[in-house]
This record gives sequence, C-alpha cells and structure tokens, in this order.
Amino acid sequence: METTFIKEELLFRQLETAFENVVLEIARKEAVLVYAPKELVAPILLYAKEKLGYKSFSHLSCVDWIENDEFELVYILWSPETKINLFVKTRIERENPIMENTDTIWRQINTYQREIREMFGVEFPGFIGEKEFILEDWEEIPPMRRDFDTLDYVSETFDERPGREDKQDVRERIANRSGEEIPDFAKKYSRE
Amino acid sequence: MYNDNNAQTIVEYIKNFTRKNSLFMLAYGTGCGAIELPATLTSRYDAERLGVRGAATPRQADLLLITGYLSTKTLKRVIRVYEQMQDPKYVIGFGSCTINGGMYWDSYNTIKMLDKYIPVDVYINGCMPRPESVIAGFKELQRLISEGKADGATKYKENLDWYRENQKKVLKNWPLVEYNW
Amino acid sequence: MREKSTTIYLGPQHPGITGNMMVKLQLEGDTIVKAQTHVGYLHRAFEKLIERRNWMQTTTILCRFCVPEPDPPEAAFALAVEQIEGREVPERGKYLRSLVLELARIQSFMLWYAGQTGSAGLYTVGQWSVGDRNYVLDLFEELTGGRIYHMYIWPGGVRRDIPEGFEDKVLRTMDYIEKRLDDYDRMMFDSAIFQKRAQGVGIINKEKALEWGVVGAPLRGCGIAHDVRKDNPYDAYDKLDFQMGIFEGGDVWARALVRRFEFRQSISMVRQIIQNLPSGDYLNKMPNPMKWTIPAGSAYGKVESVRGEFGFYVVSDGSDKPRRVHAKGPAYVHGVSLLEDVLVGQNLADVSFIMNSLGVCPPEIER
Repeated sequence: METTFIKEELLFRQLETAFENVVLEIARKEAVLVYAPKELVAPILLYAKEKLGYKSFSHLSCVDWIENDEFELVYILWSPETKINLFVKTRIERENPIMENTDTIWRQINTYQREIREMFGVEFPGFIGEKEFILEDWEEIPPMRRDFDTLDYVSETFDERPGREDKQDVRERIANRSGEEIPDFAKKYSRE
Repeated sequence: MYNDNNAQTIVEYIKNFTRKNSLFMLAYGTGCGAIELPATLTSRYDAERLGVRGAATPRQADLLLITGYLSTKTLKRVIRVYEQMQDPKYVIGFGSCTINGGMYWDSYNTIKMLDKYIPVDVYINGCMPRPESVIAGFKELQRLISEGKADGATKYKENLDWYRENQKKVLKNWPLVEYNW
Repeated sequence: MREKSTTIYLGPQHPGITGNMMVKLQLEGDTIVKAQTHVGYLHRAFEKLIERRNWMQTTTILCRFCVPEPDPPEAAFALAVEQIEGREVPERGKYLRSLVLELARIQSFMLWYAGQTGSAGLYTVGQWSVGDRNYVLDLFEELTGGRIYHMYIWPGGVRRDIPEGFEDKVLRTMDYIEKRLDDYDRMMFDSAIFQKRAQGVGIINKEKALEWGVVGAPLRGCGIAHDVRKDNPYDAYDKLDFQMGIFEGGDVWARALVRRFEFRQSISMVRQIIQNLPSGDYLNKMPNPMKWTIPAGSAYGKVESVRGEFGFYVVSDGSDKPRRVHAKGPAYVHGVSLLEDVLVGQNLADVSFIMNSLGVCPPEIER
C-alpha cells in the first residue's frame, strides 16, 4: 500500500520542512490532513497557494465539537497538478470564537465566512460582508451549534397539524379499511 | 330584472365558468415542487388546455401556487404577494410540506401548516406531486370555482385578524404595509 | 442629459430569476453599476436535520439538496461515506451509478436548454426540450420509482438492479434525444438572436475564475481543463471514453458551447455503460440500517454535476448519526459573490440570461 502514496509523501515532506508546529497525516489516497494552530492557518494557505500549486479553493467548513468546547474549522484545497485534497484543520475555542479573516487569499472564502459567522457565530475580524446571509431576524443562538435544539424551537414557534404526534402505525387500520392483506414480511417492520 | 333570482344565478354561473377556465398562475417557484411545473406546462401534460398558464406579476394573476415548504423568510414575501393579487384569487398548496410540514417537520425555518397563514383552496399531496396530480388539483379547483366554493379570499378578508395574529407569531420584524381592500 | 441612478429589486418573485432568490441592482440607465445578492429564501436547515437522522435516513434528505439534479448530492455523499468506512462498491454498482448520474446530467441539460433560451425570449426550444425530458424521467421512474427524487445511490452501491428490458429502453431514448439535439441546435445556436445575446456577455476570465473558485462548465468555458470525472475519477468514469468540452472566451456563448458538447458526450457515455455493463452484485450491503454506524473520521466526496463540482464534507464521530454534513454546490460558488462581480457593467435584460448560464440554483446555496 505504501508505494501508492508517492505524491502524498512528497507533499507531506514539503509541508513538514516548511512548518514546524503542525501535525500531518496521510488519511487515504489523495487526501492529506494538516492539523495546525489557528495562527498558522493563513501562512499554510498562502504557502500552498504560492509554492505548492493549490491554485483554487474548494471548501471551508466548521464542525462543532461541543464535548471538547471547540469549533473545528476545515479548509479544503485542491491542486490541479497533483490532484490531492489538502485538509487544513484548526481548532478554536467555543466561547467567543474568533478566526483570522482569509478572504484576501481567495475571494471565494467570503461566502463561506458569511455562512459560518451566521450559522456558528464565529467572528472574522476585518471581514467585510453583509451580516445577514441566509436567516432573517434570527434572535436565538446560531442554529447550527449543537446546543440549539431545533425540535424545541419548532414546538415553541410553529403549530403542527394534529395526527403526527402520536406516531402510531396506521398501516394495519388502513389495510383493514380497504380489505388489503399485509404480507408477513411487511409486518415485521412495524413499530413495536 | 337584475333582482330576479334566476338572472342572478345565470350571471353567477357565467362568472364562475369564465373564471374557472382562465386561471393565470403566478410564476413564483417558492419551493422544490416548482420543478414539475415546466413539465406540467409543456407538451406532454399541457396544462394550458385547461386554461392554466403563467402570469408574470401578482396583479395579473388569479392563482398562487405554493410549491412546497415555505421558509419564514419566504412566507413574508408570499403574504405580500398574496395581498397584492386582485380578486378573484385562489391558492393551491403543493406537496406534503405545505399540509403538515412533511419531511421538514423538525426544521426550525419552515412553517408546518400553510392554511394558518394564508387561506388554501386546494391541497395537492405528494413529495413531490407528479404532473398528473397537479392537473388533478387544477381540476379540483375548477370544480370548486364552478360550484362557487373557492372562497379563500373572502375568508381571508373576514378573518384577517386571526391570520395576522398567526403571521406575526412567526414573522418577528413586520414592516409590511396594511392594505385596505 | 444626466443619467439617473435607480435601484431595482429583482426577485424573489420574478419570472426571470432562476429559483427563489433576489438580486438588488443599482442601475444607471440600464447598465448595472452594483449588484447585491440576497439568498436564504429556501433555507430548510438540511444540515441540522441530517444531524438528527441516522445514516440511512439521510438519503431522503440528500436528493432534495438540489432540485434540478438530485443525483449528484447522493453520489457525493455516498463517496464520502465510502471513503470513511472503506466500503467497496461492486463493479456493477459503479456502472449503474454512472448510468444514473449521466441520465441525470442529460435531463438537467434539457432543463438548461429551456432556461437559457427562455431567458433570451426563444420559447420554442424550451417547449421541446422540457417535453422530451419526460422520456428521461420515465426511465428514472422505471428504475427508481420516482420522477425527480430517486434516492437510488446508497453508500455501497445502488438501491436496486435495473429491471428487465431496461437497456433497450435507454438506448431507444438516447437515439431519440440525439435526433432531437439537431433541432434544438438549429433553434438555439443557429439563431442570430441567441448569438447576439450570448457573445461577449457575462465574461469571466481565467484569473477571475481561479480567484473565485469557479467550477464546471463556466470554468471549462474560459479554457481551463478541469472536470472531477477526469481529475479524480469516481465510479466507472475511469473506464469510460469521453472528452471535456473546452472553449475559450469565458462568455455565455462559450459556456453554451461547452454544454452542447458535453450533452453529446453524456449520450455516448450512456451507450458505453449499457454496452459494458458487468454482471454481478449491485450493492455491497450495509448491516441493519437502523444500527448502522460509521467509524470516526472525515472525508470530502465530490462529483461533477452539470453545473460543476458538487462536494460533501462528511464528519462522523463513530455513532449512528452523522456529526456534520456540509454541502458545497456549484451555485454556492457562482450564485453569491461571483454573481455580484460578474453582473457589474452588464445590461438589466441580461441578468437572468447570465444567471442561467452560470447555473445558479438557490436551493443548493442555502440548503
């Protein structure tokens, strides 16, 4: 298996020599992971863009690790030359989360940062973008945080049509009404 | 002559007949059901033979199709669009998500019962409804119109306070002009 | 006389807008000086809902991410899950996936024909292509049970095998569509109206394309060869013979040429798949779906949809529910910040024309 990871190994070496405080991992074919402290993210992105041929940006995501009190920001880059996805991962504290603004490196990051600011409440100082992106007049905590309970919010805000909440299996009743027979294999999937 | 009962029935009949056969539908794809509308309006299903066709602006439209889930942000616009439409106007709720939330039952951003916010004349179920069921919905609406039972707009005017109360419960910031009809 | 500046809110209720979104335009005369996109009218909180569903239940949500082409999201998610889990897909499953993805591309191309010409005022092609699209949807219906939403591609393969006699029907439909393509082209590409409207409009040059991370046909329309099916082949694409459509210019015309070329490639690919369809299993079955857990890890799965790269970042914490699923569709790139940039200097009448050409599809921007 090791022999198939030649180009990944090469990228690994390059990043290893360029940065000291990072943890590197070859996850699988065409995927290299970089765990970096948050100050190093912008330098890594710049280095990847200018030295490693990562010309365009692919994705920026945010994961809520509520049990560790951390947000994980994931920058995914893709190189047209080596065809390797580079994942730059960093963790920031969940209380008062602040991350460096990187939309000067790729302007596309602008949209992602707007979304993450709205959905997770991560602030990007110095970042210009409309405050409201997807939500309108949102007064609760940012909705994609894991401690926001959407079902509670729904039962407070919206009314549901009666008939959904009892969660009864009505298939048998309907079948009896129409005189249809339920085969045995279908019966065993009923809620019990 | 005009007060004659028979004459009024005839006028009523002609009025309903013409209304049901020229339903201009507002081109506002509010949700994912809108993808079946091109298919419904083009050659195979051809809804135009029923007199249903698109209209570009709310003021010229008779029929508002709510094609699926409504997020609260869209609900605001839909109410505004609905109030801009002129009588006679009808609403078709399209898809399971307008009836009881459908698969979005636990989503914080979509409404669950459309008829609490605007009056609905006909519901079409399915996720998403096929062109055949859309046409069946149109036919049902036409039947209601010809029997004079599609009175959602009158209901809305009479019970405006109830509708407004429900709308304001979901929409926090409400800068909408209060129309007086 | 001095030109007066006007502000126009185009959408969310506007027949020219591709879906439910709004563009706030500042005009001088009828030239746009500033554009601002407003999205979020279709936000259904899918990513939140997926965190509450188990791995099997996500399939009903995945196809609803993007309405005009519901299969690429399923495929991208399945790829990501397979990467985390290390689940192999049987050869026949791979081919069937590619078959469905290519059929999905074909039906989406036909919708695009309608949108692109309809926004230029040529309604005939739209009537034809959307009418003919029903034949592809019939195939889907026979194969999966649904016209629009299929829930066909599962992690590990596909949901069911093809029914008897299906290959013949596919080939017949392809023959019919290929014949009709010439008619579409005569009405669209030979039309002086379309040529004049499309050439030199909505230009994205190479530098801008890289800066904004443009994907798909708009990227190949400015001369950059990038296609996920070629670069990081998934499913059966490494065994199929096809070419990327690469054209210079970066305007609406070049993008239209790319799509015209790739439509024919898709038809040829469907034929190749039918001819080379291997026998064997179609699904590497998962354990009891209600107790199905995925080992902890993360992966980024991506596929090429008609409008460009569709990616899913999936994180699992080892439980029976996904920890985080983040989708990135081509419209997310094209429809928000890039559109604001491209529209400046264009005519008001060209807005929906350019939006159609970039493939802006709001349901996948806000999810």
